[in-house]
Formats: sequence, structure tokens, C-alpha cells
Amino acid sequence: MANINPKFGEKLKEYGAENFNACYNCGTCTAVCSLSTPEDSFPRNMVRCSTLGQDQEIEASLKPWLCYYCGECSLHCPQDANPGELMMSLRRWLTAKYDWTGFSGLLYKSLAVTLISLIVVALGVVGFAYQQNFELESLMHYGHYFEMIAIGSVFAVVLVPNIIRMWYFVIIKPKKKVAFATYFKASGDFFVHMFTQKRSLGCDDNQVRWFEHLILVFGYLALLFTTVFLDWFDSKNLFVIALGYIESIAVFVITADFVNSRLKKQKAVSTHSQPSDWLFVVGLLLMGFTAFLVRLAIDMNMIQSQLWIFIVHLIVLAQWALIVVPFGKWTHFLYRSFAMYFAKLIELSK
Amino acid sequence: MDKRLGVYICHCGGNISDYVDVEKVREAIENDGCVLMSKTTQFACSDSNQKEMVLDIQEQNLSGIVVASCSPKLHLNTFRQVSERADLNKYNYVHANIREQASWAHSDDKKGATEKTILLVKAAIAKARLAESLTPNKIMAINAVAVIGGGVAGLKAAISLSDKNTQVVLIEREPFIGGRVGQWGEMFTTNQTGNELISSLYAQLVTRKNVQIYTNSEVVSYSGSIGDFSLKIETTPRYISQDCDAKELQKAMDVCPVVVPDPFTFGITNRKAIYGFAASQYPKQATIDDAACTHCGACEKVSKNIDLSLQKEMVELHVGSVLMATGFDPYTPENGEFGYAENESVITLPQFKKLIDNSESKLIYKGKEIKNIAYIYCVGSRQGDEGNSYCSRYCCTSTIHSAIIAKKKFKNIHNFHFNRGIRTYGKQEVLYAESLKLGDLYLQATDDSPAEVYSENGRTWVKVNDILTESKEMQVEVDLVVLVTGMVPRSDKKVSTLFKLPKGRDRFLNEIHMKLRPVETAIDGITIAGTCQSPKNVAESVNSSLSAATKAFSYISKGELETEPIVVEIDAVKCTWCNECSTACPFDAITQGLDGDRKIAVVNTTVCKGCGMCTPVCPTDAIDLVTFSSKEIMNMIDALTEQI
Repeated sequence: MANINPKFGEKLKEYGAENFNACYNCGTCTAVCSLSTPEDSFPRNMVRCSTLGQDQEIEASLKPWLCYYCGECSLHCPQDANPGELMMSLRRWLTAKYDWTGFSGLLYKSLAVTLISLIVVALGVVGFAYQQNFELESLMHYGHYFEMIAIGSVFAVVLVPNIIRMWYFVIIKPKKKVAFATYFKASGDFFVHMFTQKRSLGCDDNQVRWFEHLILVFGYLALLFTTVFLDWFDSKNLFVIALGYIESIAVFVITADFVNSRLKKQKAVSTHSQPSDWLFVVGLLLMGFTAFLVRLAIDMNMIQSQLWIFIVHLIVLAQWALIVVPFGKWTHFLYRSFAMYFAKLIELSK
Repeated sequence: MDKRLGVYICHCGGNISDYVDVEKVREAIENDGCVLMSKTTQFACSDSNQKEMVLDIQEQNLSGIVVASCSPKLHLNTFRQVSERADLNKYNYVHANIREQASWAHSDDKKGATEKTILLVKAAIAKARLAESLTPNKIMAINAVAVIGGGVAGLKAAISLSDKNTQVVLIEREPFIGGRVGQWGEMFTTNQTGNELISSLYAQLVTRKNVQIYTNSEVVSYSGSIGDFSLKIETTPRYISQDCDAKELQKAMDVCPVVVPDPFTFGITNRKAIYGFAASQYPKQATIDDAACTHCGACEKVSKNIDLSLQKEMVELHVGSVLMATGFDPYTPENGEFGYAENESVITLPQFKKLIDNSESKLIYKGKEIKNIAYIYCVGSRQGDEGNSYCSRYCCTSTIHSAIIAKKKFKNIHNFHFNRGIRTYGKQEVLYAESLKLGDLYLQATDDSPAEVYSENGRTWVKVNDILTESKEMQVEVDLVVLVTGMVPRSDKKVSTLFKLPKGRDRFLNEIHMKLRPVETAIDGITIAGTCQSPKNVAESVNSSLSAATKAFSYISKGELETEPIVVEIDAVKCTWCNECSTACPFDAITQGLDGDRKIAVVNTTVCKGCGMCTPVCPTDAIDLVTFSSKEIMNMIDALTEQI
């Protein structure tokens, strides 16, 4: 027996959901969704769970992650209940639910907290630079180390525990029996989905967006690899330098297109932008762009005189690594991949 | 002089001629005694054939015609009109149904169908030989209509009739005009209150010279028929004169020892046996509830304007037509039905509507502030074969509207609608959309697994297998359960029984034809309007009442009425007044009369429908039904049993 909780709907509104209670259960959204299946039927079912406040069921569900937000459902909804944006809001809510620190939820719900965090991090970077007497050498040295340490600690302290929590919510708590060997059998799916987002090709007319996304993922991961392990800023290797340029350009050109799409509200997916969405695309854009500028300044021997370029890059990097990656929309990339993995586990264990 | 008959045998474009050899039929009857001419025709009902028939009748000087074709239900009037156009009295035309009774029924046996057709046509000829010219009965119609029931339907009908310069008598059983609508607050779609509607209608009506209003009055007997009904109306005194002011009334109410649940608020509040009027109740004159009052005399002692010795008064009125607008009762749930009468947090929709109307700032029932409200739909409606199988039409809209009002008027209200499919049809659909947007939750049960109300330690829960959530069992704790009760026919059936108005399977009053004669009843001159006929919302009630008013006016507008001459005749010599016929008559058309000093049966030809129920029960065979006399029927039987 499940208790009805109308207050849950109010809570979801803080995560960007709107008007989903207007749903009169016609099921058009589920019918037009090209990813919904009889076994994993959505979004109507998720809309229903949201209106009735079935948070336990949503918490254990992978359905929000199975949606890649093509926006067809919102387009065809006769009640303007916007099921697509509800699914997005459920992903935000789930991200907050998985996060043991609770900071994700605060960022989603409060623009003020988001802005203050960004400012604190920026001030920290400037303070650190001041402490180092604005010496380029040491700043670049620490900057490089910061990247490695930040990635390692964010994973260890935040992301890995959160993934374990997600696993607990969807596999352990609902008492799904998964054999140990299955975890290995399904692992292929994890990597395929993480790097290719293969499933989103199932959305109607999504090839261009999927391709952009694919380039972005590879560009971003390669840029990360190039700066952290190939030490792009300090490299004398012409191939590495060129590689970094291409990767950074790929990142900021594609994100610039995403920003443009959100500004113009061209598609259903880009019509509703929460601060977390802006933070993600703008952050990524600035990451690519400032990295590009830094390397350009180095190559043009201007970096000593134009040190501010590097400090700005460092600020963007720190905000990205300390806020967006552990608590922001970046986690969707990780959770989505794990969701596909867990879905495969459940499927194989039937 | 023997008849000069013309016989027409129709092919019905193959419907008949594919199975019946119509030419053979024609040959078989062409030499029958008085058949002057006989023809077959592709379509007897076609324009060209009708014209030919008119010419035949005139040129051959025919004194009767037989048409053998489809059912008389379809074309009786067509061929009656043909006769009239040819200056032949229409009762000289006789119909033989050879399509339904022969070709269609015996499509597997063409020979048999043809033989049967020959006999059917011969029987019709036998009847036509005896047919006589008849003239319709004419009766005088009084230009007055009694409207029974002073709710929104009755008021609108009265205004409409008064506009047509008809004398209107409006008779209301209750002490006040206003009916159910007067009890409601704000109503969708116009968002006017019942008070606003009733007050404006009463204001229009009360100034009219051709309208008499009787409140606290009932029709206790009637006689006569369409055109001239005689009604006896009994008026119960109010016992309080108009001079009694508010202060004096208050004093009288204070001393009155009798407390009863107030029907005006559907029993959520009490009142004394002596009581005043609400804003929507007219006339503005206090009254005493005669059924509850013990005549203790306490009020008389404090007010000189109260006189308990007043007696009921009786008046007799004559009207040409009666319009019934007696309304509905809200369904009263059985004890224990969804916790009704057992759980004090369970009330009905009408009670809930009064509760929100009467509450300010906080919604409080039985001392408890109400926040979570469950509405259980279709209580007393759509119950399947055992109960009320109909939909009460108004309740979905009314419930959602009330829930929205509650949400807007009071703080922190959560509405939970346990429905069986929402029917906010037509323009009311926007209300459902608004309710969803406001966050009301809808849970849907199937017919065989309805919502369930249960309580534990004084807390009330409602649970349901919600078919919109994969039939999972959902439950919610609520402060109030509102049973969305539909409409049932009035429990007081005195007046409908008095007029012997037929009722449908739903026990509401029945119209003659749901689509084509929606306000007429089987009793000529009596129309029905509003919710006494079937559940309706206000707009639908007013529609039907204006329709009934126009129909009623059409009965009396010419001052004279024509009725079918197909009625029974009594042979005064044979009749012994055994009373069998009057008992058998469903229309009360036969009464005892005198032939000299002998008691005999007398027929009221304006009331008689020609149904023939009385003829077979007469032991002395003294009754004959015109056009279906014993002689005619015997001749037809002889013809049918003839050997071909």
C-alpha cells in the first residue's frame, strides 16, 4: 500500500518541474516516445508517480535516465503538462537524492547558493594567486597539480560514494537479485553508453545532436587527458600542442552552439533552462575557450604580460572541478552511464 | 351501398417484390367483391404514386382505399393525407403491412410469403368494406396552465407561459419558491449563485398579473383532461402573518422547543419548527413547519402575529394543461455506504456545498479543521443493474467546482478525487483542466473495485486500486470524505401518482419519445420539465422547461383541440355496469354514468386513447372500439382463414 503525498509535487517544482499536474493521463507522451517500451514505460508513469508523490518508486527507478529528452512528449501533450521537462526535473531530483553531501540539492534549488559558491571558489583562486605573488611558474605548476588532485578527490569523496548510493537505491533496496558474475557481463554496456550515448540515437531526428554530443564527450575527455597527462600547457611536442588546440576548439564551438540553442529556445529540449543547465554549458564553453586562449598566449609569448588570462582559466577550472563536476549537471553523464549499466544488470537477472 | 375500393400493392423497390409475387397478389384480389381497381406500384409512397392515387380516387369515385406496403408506423399519415387531398375521409383508408409481416418475415419461402400476403390484403379489404367516415373529436381548451414546482424549471416555464399571455398557476409544495437551485451557492459555468438566479426569476414573475403563485400548496385531486383539467389545491397556512418583524420572529424562534435538521442545509445545521427565510427564498414571509410543529403554543404567547388556529384552505382551479417540474432528491447513501452515517467525517456533496458556503476563513466540520478532502464519485449513480444505473450528469462538474472553490477560499486544502471517469462534458471541460492545474489529484477506480473508506483510531483513510497507476493500492489520510451523491426521483410521489404519470426504469417520469417528444407524457396535456424527468444540470433543466412551456402552450393556444375519433363506444343496452372496463382502463377514461336510471359505463372521449384494454374484459360484449369493432375484426379473421 502506497501513501499519496501531494507535497512531493511541490518539492519537484523547486527542481524545475512545472504544470505536470495538468496531466489527465491520456498517455500520448508514452505513445510518442521512441524510447519507451512495454517493460519500461514512460513518461506518463513517471508523471503519475510525481503527482501522487511516489518518491520511493522514483528513487528506485531508472526511467528518468532512460529518457534523452527529445521533447516529443512535451510537444504533443494536449494539456501542456510538459512531461519532458518533468523527466529532466526528476533527473535533477535523483542527482540530489544520490548525493550524500546534500550540496547538489542546494545548488538546484537555490540560485543564491550557486552564485555564492562560484564567487567563493573564484576568490579562493585569486587569493591563492596573490599568495603566490602572481608568479606564472608556480601558478602553472600548482594549477596542473590541482587538476589531478581535484579529479582524484572529487571522485573518491563525492562521486564514488554517490554511485554506491545510486546502486543501493536501484538494486539493493528494491531487493533486486543480481549475480556477481553479471556485474562483469554487463560492464561492456557501461562503456559503450558512457562514450557513445548510443541509446539517444533512438530518439527521433536526433542524429545531429547525438553527433555533436559525441564530439563533445570525446573532445572534453581528450582535452582532460591532454592537459592532465600530456601537460599541454608545458608541452614542447608539436603534436600534443596541435591536439590540444583541436580539442579545445571542438569543446567551445559545440558548447557555443548549445548556448545559442538555449538562448533562442529552438527545440523543446532547450526551451527550459535552469541555472544548473546554464552553468554546465557556459562552464564547458569557458573551459574550452580559456584553455585555448592560455595556450595561444603561451605560443605568442604573451602569457607573462597577460597573466590574467591564466588566472581566469584557473578560476573556471576550479569552479568546474569543485562545483559542476561533483554536484552539477556533469554528474548526469556519470549517472546516466551507470543507469544503463544497472538497467542491463536488472535485465540480465530476470 | 357497398364500398368502391381501390387497392395498391407496393413493390417497396424489391423489399417486398423480391419475395412476394405482387402481381399474383393483385390478381388474387382483383375480383374481390367491391374492389373496383387494383394496382401494383414500385413505391406507393413516392410523389408520383401519391398523385396517381388522388386522381384514381377522384376519377373512379372511390369510397375507400387499401394500401399494402410497409408498416403503418412509417406511412399511415402519408396515405391519410393522400385521402384528404382527394376529399376522401381519411378513416376510409386501411393499411396492410406486407413488408414486415410477409416479405421480410418469410424471405426463405417465397410461395408462402405470397400466399400470406394475399390473405393480409384480403383481410384489409374486409376491414375497408366496413370502414366509416369519422370526424375528430373537438374539445375546448382553457387558456391557463398549472406549473407544479417552483424551482428553476418551474419558474422559467411560468415566465415563458406568462409571456405568451397564458394564465399561469405556479404551485409549490414548500413554503418558499426556489427549489434546489435556491439552495446552491456559486455554480459553474456562469459563477452566479443560486440566490442570484432565483431572485432574478422571482422578481420577473411576481409583478405579472397573469401569474398566481401558491406556496405551501399541493395538488390533492384532479379530474378532467387535456383542455380542461380541474385541480384541487390545498394550502397549508404559514400561521405567521406578514406583519411579524424580524425581532418578533427571533423571539418566537427562541421559545420554540422543536429542533429539526434543516432541510435547506441538507441537515448540516438545525432549525426550529418556526423559521425565517434565506436570501434565495421567496416570498419573504416566515413560516412554521407544519409537520414538525407540536402546536404547543409557545410562539403564540410571544407574538400576536402568530395564529396556530388557522386551517388548511382548498381552492379549485381549471387549467388547460399541466406542466410538471417537481425536481429531484439528492441520493441518500445507505448507512455504512462508504462510511456514511457511521463515520462522522463522511458527508454528501450537497452538504459539502452548504458547508463551504457557510464557512468563513477556515473550513471547519464537527470542530475539526479540514485540510485533506476525499471526493468519492458516482455514489448512487452508475451502480449497475441492481441500483441506479444512470449518470446524474451534474455531479462531476459540481464536485470539481466545489473543490476549486474550497481550495481558493481556504488555506492548505488538498483535494483527492476518487472517480470512475470524469464527465465534465461540453463547456464544463475547462473546469477539469483548471482543477488539474491547481494540483487536485484524481484517482480512478474500476466499477468492480471501488474506493474504500476506513477509519483507525479516529483517523479516516481512503484507499483505491488506482487504474492510472497500474492498479496499485493507493491510500491517503483525509479530514473529510465527500460522497458525490447523484440525483434520485422525489421520494414524495404523491403528485406524479395522482396524475398517473408513467415512470421509466430509472423511476424518473417518462417522456413519450426521448428524442422527438421529449417533454410530452402519455397523459395528454401534461408535460414534464427539469429533473423530475431525468438528472439534468441547471442549463439542461431550463432548456427542457422552456420546451415544455411551449408544448403546453401549443395545446391550448387555439382554444380548441382535436383528438382522434378512434375511441371506444359503449352499447348502453348491453352494459350492466360491472366495473370491469373502468378497472382495466389505464387512463381513467371510463366512469359510471346513468342511462335513465340504469347505471352504465360512460367514456370520456378526450381521455380515451383507443388502446382497447376494456373491450376484451367486457362480459356482455358491450364495448366496441371504433375502427376495430368486433364486426370488423371478425370479418378480417374470416378473410384470413379463407382457403386460397
